[in-house]
Amino acid sequence: MAALMAAAPARAGSGARGTPGAGGDMAGHCGARAMAAPLARRAAGSARGVCSAAAQRPWRLFGAMCLLRLPRITQPLEKEEEEVAALMEQIELEKSHYSDHEIRKLEEEEALRRKKESSYDEDEARGKTVIMAQDLEEKWEQKFLSFKAAPRITDADKNNDRTSLSRKLDSNLMLLVKQKIGNQELWLLPQVEWQPGETLRNTAERAMATFLGDHIQAKVLGNAPYGIYKYKFPRAIRTENNVGAKVFFFKAYLQSSDLSRAELKADYLWVTKKELGDYLKSEYLKKVNRFLLDL
Amino acid sequence: MYSSMIDARDIPQWRGGLIPHGDKDENRRRDPCNLLLLYPKLSLGQRSLLGGGKVLCSEKGVLLRHVFALSRAATARENRLCAAGDALLACHRSYRSRPTHGIGRFQHLLPKEVPKRKKEKVQMKEISEGTEYQYGDLNIQMTSYDLCLVEHFAQYVHRLCNRLSIRVNESYAMPTKTNEVLFLEERGSKMQLDAVLTTHQRVVQIRGLSSTFAPILLEIIQSSQPEGVHLLMKQHTEADFKSRLKSRPELEELLAEMS
Repeated sequence: MAALMAAAPARAGSGARGTPGAGGDMAGHCGARAMAAPLARRAAGSARGVCSAAAQRPWRLFGAMCLLRLPRITQPLEKEEEEVAALMEQIELEKSHYSDHEIRKLEEEEALRRKKESSYDEDEARGKTVIMAQDLEEKWEQKFLSFKAAPRITDADKNNDRTSLSRKLDSNLMLLVKQKIGNQELWLLPQVEWQPGETLRNTAERAMATFLGDHIQAKVLGNAPYGIYKYKFPRAIRTENNVGAKVFFFKAYLQSSDLSRAELKADYLWVTKKELGDYLKSEYLKKVNRFLLDL
Repeated sequence: MYSSMIDARDIPQWRGGLIPHGDKDENRRRDPCNLLLLYPKLSLGQRSLLGGGKVLCSEKGVLLRHVFALSRAATARENRLCAAGDALLACHRSYRSRPTHGIGRFQHLLPKEVPKRKKEKVQMKEISEGTEYQYGDLNIQMTSYDLCLVEHFAQYVHRLCNRLSIRVNESYAMPTKTNEVLFLEERGSKMQLDAVLTTHQRVVQIRGLSSTFAPILLEIIQSSQPEGVHLLMKQHTEADFKSRLKSRPELEELLAEMS
């Protein structure tokens, strides 16, 4: 049995409802769990976990999975980047030497010109190749014109169909599911409660499997969680043994975009980081945004 | 420079005797190195000799020879008698009997260098996934057809690791592989050369990546990967190390013959 433990205490999240006293106690009661020593790093998405003790503390643990579909094409350049690129290309072109093909082309043009002006094509035609450089270029041009590149803006983009995976091809898409927490139906990253005897990473994978079926080809990155969201239950439900819940986020990359298997839950969405704000609650969103990298 | 032409015969020549500009001991105390000050205290005769020589150089040659003869005679006398502190004036270097002998020596102060022998480099191995949850030597291999792109990306990765305080062991290039794409015509048996593709590979080797930071680093590198560059991260093995070395067939033949 090995859950994850960290040295850094959790920040007072969940709308400043977490008391500093509780945070201090958390750090003190580090139970006997296996270590994966996370260090606070300044890169985006710093992995922070909270040391949560065993049954003494009344926090329920959840493991949530942030499933990412990686971008398929590169993002378009900014205006300044385009200008700089054009300038650099021009400079390079002016500074460069002729390539073999260009030299050959120039020579052949020379020879053609001389042939037209005065006729001693007998000597030269013997050593001539069958194919001239100009013909080669034309052949290449034709081949290029017959090549059709796939569209960058797909149909799903035009329809703004948020359930399809072929939407924004140049950014990360992540999965959001509608779940029932308490009395409310909320849009969340798929999460499932932690069972004693499994690692939190397994919990997250189980969460993914419950919502998307078993045969998902996703690659979980590492054993350490990427973020944590801590909240206390509303006073009506809160008891001695059930103060609140902590959700640990994990990240996974979607390997194949083939999701033809049946989705168990009907309400799912694939959204980008910017669109998360439309669906998630503000506190939750703040925590999730901390570990999302959007380069 | 002197404006008037000075005739050598008019100059009172100093024929020897005591040093006109002071005592030997006084000079030494003032000048521990015993080197002449930059502005030597010449007597009038010596100064005019020098100056006279310079002026006459720009003019006729006959008088020049005169003056030089005189100045040479004068300096020879000076050599014998008043050398202390007059090194610059006489323009001769420190001789072995002088106290300033070996004044510029410094090689004996440097640490002794062991002569480098050509040895085969021994590779180092590090624990991976030890108790401290660190990876050992990792190779980040970037492959592409485009040379500039892959080199710039390798530079970017190297500087990123520097910035994130990840130790970079080495950053090297593998030899270029050239592929010729031959185009078979539809109704013909001859293969024609269509294109020549060169594959370039750059490797950045890092060490001491902690297991909690590894996925973050991987994500950063993956999201900044340019088009057309393949990225591969793997553990460094002996086979990787050997692939950089060239095989010597003659040596292997000889070894096979011997054994």
